[in-house]
Amino acid sequence: MKAQLPEMGLKAVEAETDERLLIEAAQRDPRRFGELYENNFDRVYAFIASRVFDRSEAEDLTAEVFHQALAKLGQFEWRGAPFIAWLLRIASNAIADRWQKRSRYPEISDSDLEEPGAEDGTERRVMLAQLLEELPSDQKLVMVRRFLDQRSIRDIALELKRSEGAVKQLQFRALESLRNRMGEKR
Amino acid sequence: MSNQAIYEELDNVINSLLQGDTARVEQSDSTVGELLLLASALRQMPRPEFRSRLRLELQKESARLSGSDALPHAARRGSLISVTGGASRRASDEQILPTLFGAGYGNYPVHRSNFVVSAVLHAAAIAIVLASSLWLAGHPQQVKQQVISLIGPGDYTLPAAKTKAGGGGGGGDHDKLAASKGSAPRFASEQITPPAIVIRNDNPKLAAEPTVVGPPDIKLPQTATLGDPLSRILTSSNGTGSGSGIGTGDGGGIGSGSGSGPGVGPGHGGGIGGGIYRVGGGVSAPRVIYDPDPEYSEEARQAKYQGTVVLWIVIGADGRARDVRVSRALGMGLDQKAVEAVRSWRFQPAMKDGHPVAVQVNVEVNFRLY
Repeated sequence: MKAQLPEMGLKAVEAETDERLLIEAAQRDPRRFGELYENNFDRVYAFIASRVFDRSEAEDLTAEVFHQALAKLGQFEWRGAPFIAWLLRIASNAIADRWQKRSRYPEISDSDLEEPGAEDGTERRVMLAQLLEELPSDQKLVMVRRFLDQRSIRDIALELKRSEGAVKQLQFRALESLRNRMGEKR
Repeated sequence: MSNQAIYEELDNVINSLLQGDTARVEQSDSTVGELLLLASALRQMPRPEFRSRLRLELQKESARLSGSDALPHAARRGSLISVTGGASRRASDEQILPTLFGAGYGNYPVHRSNFVVSAVLHAAAIAIVLASSLWLAGHPQQVKQQVISLIGPGDYTLPAAKTKAGGGGGGGDHDKLAASKGSAPRFASEQITPPAIVIRNDNPKLAAEPTVVGPPDIKLPQTATLGDPLSRILTSSNGTGSGSGIGTGDGGGIGSGSGSGPGVGPGHGGGIGGGIYRVGGGVSAPRVIYDPDPEYSEEARQAKYQGTVVLWIVIGADGRARDVRVSRALGMGLDQKAVEAVRSWRFQPAMKDGHPVAVQVNVEVNFRLY
């Protein structure tokens, strides 16, 4: 275990250097921002979704965060903190602004806007997004159609040309697989 | 509870979850409840098209910020979520690849000028390849680092003989009588034992058949007695000449004239009538059919030594070079290299009266370093 520590540290430094180079490249040419977007989308969305709970609103806020980040990218200064921390700070401010505009949320707790930790569900959502990509293609398709597109079992069965019972079984297997894998990774 | 029942129960609760009926969700058992937590989280995940749509918006925005008039496309490098497999992703890739004429421009950090520079460089490279190929085709000799030109007998203009080829003859052992009548021994490419009518050494250490030099495939009338076919003397005699043959000359052949070679008749050398054939006078020139290049000797290469070796060779009726002699030496191992090469040559032999005959020719081997 001790022997792995220097290697892990080295990888962390390499990742940090790569991200810094990527940021500098995007600051020179904004068209390079796409790579930063791809690298950080899941975490930003998970952070917002774990606080907003409504998918449409989470999507709206996520879009706002990345548009702001692109517009302010020139102001970003590398101080050793990862780029995601800067994005989540923008996300926190965006959520706060959104809540303050609504009368039913007159007060905002600072803890609600803290950056992600072990208990806030952000990491769990990021992990879930990653594990969804690793599912077998038929199970993944059922998950996407059922929960992301919110289609009925009958529609999915027609699309897959399988029986409704088979689709329900795939649905169960996929959720069970996700649960087991998340249990392993914790 | 059977598996089928669990699938049904889970799906019913999921339906309630998707419709916002939380009461039924809270009543579900623990097994289904754990899965429902995941289902609830999945329900909040972003729609696939949202991620790609946002990317498209950001691309447009970034292109505007960078001052480009590019038109970003919906996908890039296939990194967008695709639940329907790779076909649509490949189609997207085909649509967004930037081209010289601007399609897909802006999706990659490239400038249109790059295409122009690339096209010019490719055109220049193709032109260089074509030009060098044409030059190589037109200057084959200059291409070689070392050039060895061989002037073979096929393309070496030999002067025609002033008279018909003739030769051979000679011989005798200082007898008082002229050579007696008989038939000539058979022809061979080389003579080991000269013919003799009177055998002076009855017990030679190494016996060999007497022959005269001439085309081996030419058969002369043979009798039991060796002798000079042109003589009229019947008393056995080797002749008054010298050189161990039969006759009045001084060679190892048979002849009544002044011949000095191992042939038959007056003249020099082999063959009927004496002398090795030369090109001309009814003898066609041999033609090279296989002529590998000689090697340059390492010594001469290091010394950058060059020059011409002239070889004197006999091209036999079998098309092989023999009796190779260096007529003009060059040294530094080049003579040996030239001899080795010429020995490996193969010729279409010279022809006389429809028969292949051995001829003597000179060959020049030029060694040049460039």
